[in-house]
Amino acid sequence: MKWRQYGRNAILVKFAESPDEWAFHKCRAMSRALSQKAPATVIEFVPGYTTMLIEFDLSGADPLEKLAGETITFLEEHGRKKVPLGPLHKIPVKYDGPDLARVAKHNGISEERVVKFHTAPVYKVHLLGFAPGFPYLGELHHKLRTPRLDAPRPKVSAGSVAIGGEHTGVYPVDSPGGWNIIGRTNVKIFDPMRAVAPQEEDAFLLKPGDQVQFVSI
Amino acid sequence: MRVLDSGLGVSIQDRGRPGWRRFGVPIGGSMDPHAASCANRLLDNDPGAALIELLLQGSRLEMLQDAWIALCGAPIECSIPTWRAYPAQAGEVVSIKKCRSGMWSYLAVEGGFSAKPFFGSASFYGRGNLGTRLSAGSLLERNSSARFHLAAGVSGRVASWEDQRDYASPPRIRVWPGPQWNDFSPADRDTFLTAEWKISPQSDRVGYRLEGPRLPANPPEIVSEPVRLGSVQVPENGQPIITMRDGPTVGGYPKIALIDEEHDLPWVAQARPGETIRFQLIS
Repeated sequence: MKWRQYGRNAILVKFAESPDEWAFHKCRAMSRALSQKAPATVIEFVPGYTTMLIEFDLSGADPLEKLAGETITFLEEHGRKKVPLGPLHKIPVKYDGPDLARVAKHNGISEERVVKFHTAPVYKVHLLGFAPGFPYLGELHHKLRTPRLDAPRPKVSAGSVAIGGEHTGVYPVDSPGGWNIIGRTNVKIFDPMRAVAPQEEDAFLLKPGDQVQFVSI
Repeated sequence: MRVLDSGLGVSIQDRGRPGWRRFGVPIGGSMDPHAASCANRLLDNDPGAALIELLLQGSRLEMLQDAWIALCGAPIECSIPTWRAYPAQAGEVVSIKKCRSGMWSYLAVEGGFSAKPFFGSASFYGRGNLGTRLSAGSLLERNSSARFHLAAGVSGRVASWEDQRDYASPPRIRVWPGPQWNDFSPADRDTFLTAEWKISPQSDRVGYRLEGPRLPANPPEIVSEPVRLGSVQVPENGQPIITMRDGPTVGGYPKIALIDEEHDLPWVAQARPGETIRFQLIS
């Protein structure tokens, strides 16, 4: 594993070369270990597809290089472990989005095929980002890959199911967005009202490592 | 206290909500934590106590009870004195008439403002519907019954001259090399460090856009990875975007640099559209 300094008190660890299945499992094992028994100097970690941000408390005597070295050893030890997948969420979707035709045309397939290909796999939540609880799901069928819109929409409604490049996801909140909207769901992916301490994670329906399948309605 | 007019924008902020970025929740919090903590410290509050962040001008707030307050930040024409503890009286209106330079001001009250916390913070984050939205008519209460008292024989409490920053003339902004620093050519890295960068009008709590020479990165996009507060990202048009407090937690643009969050990012936050900043590498 390689790392680079990212500011005064943080490093970016590169743990995989490409955002594939292997990277997913490795990331999951590392995240689990960090949330359960991270070294005391780790303040916060944020996973990406092939990288992980680790922020340190530098108030002790040790320099960043030493803490980074210890953390890499920790991650290499725990990143090899097999961690079971999270629960499977079935999400009902009405496939009537404004970009359904665009996705079909770009890939030279019918709209029915788009729905078929999109509902077939059991996706994994690789990471949450962009907006609270926004799931980056993989792997998307290769015949569904569609470039983002040239000009992002100023407002995409919460519950929009969309495709951006090689990824698919669900908008958890109203936000600007450039992904192709193919459908919508009434399931609340993110609800701050569910965030009641100490179970604040309940605000997020989908967590990294969970599984998702879309069901056409 | 009652909001009479929200002007160009008022919101409740505090230190923000670290620890939730892996769920996609940005850190949030006061855009200028320096000015915010000054206002709180003047009243013996915790430096991260909840206060009101005021954007530019036009806001008016009415006191419904006597209370000590403190207003710090951008140089403003205001109905009360700034950078000092001030005993406001019931019925008095705090009115920000004009903001001469800078962007953000902070109004603290003794004991701090009371607001429901989400993920450990009262900071308002509009996109995520976190925190309490303020608008004309909103009522605000003090958090605790702890009252502020001037020490006996002391006539007032004023922030030090060093703390009263001149936001019209920011220093050179210190940056760390970003994770993709080496994806930019040596000439472009040099351009980044020598050019004057103008703040674009398309700037807000999510990000500040910069206008200046084009900085092409190779490759122009990367696999989405975590983005820290203060990162200078360069999208395909070559014009940098600085990730601010409500900015996304992951992104696929190369990051040429990272602004030192604690000391220098507050200066950037107070820079206005049309004003310029320059960078300097921390070595």
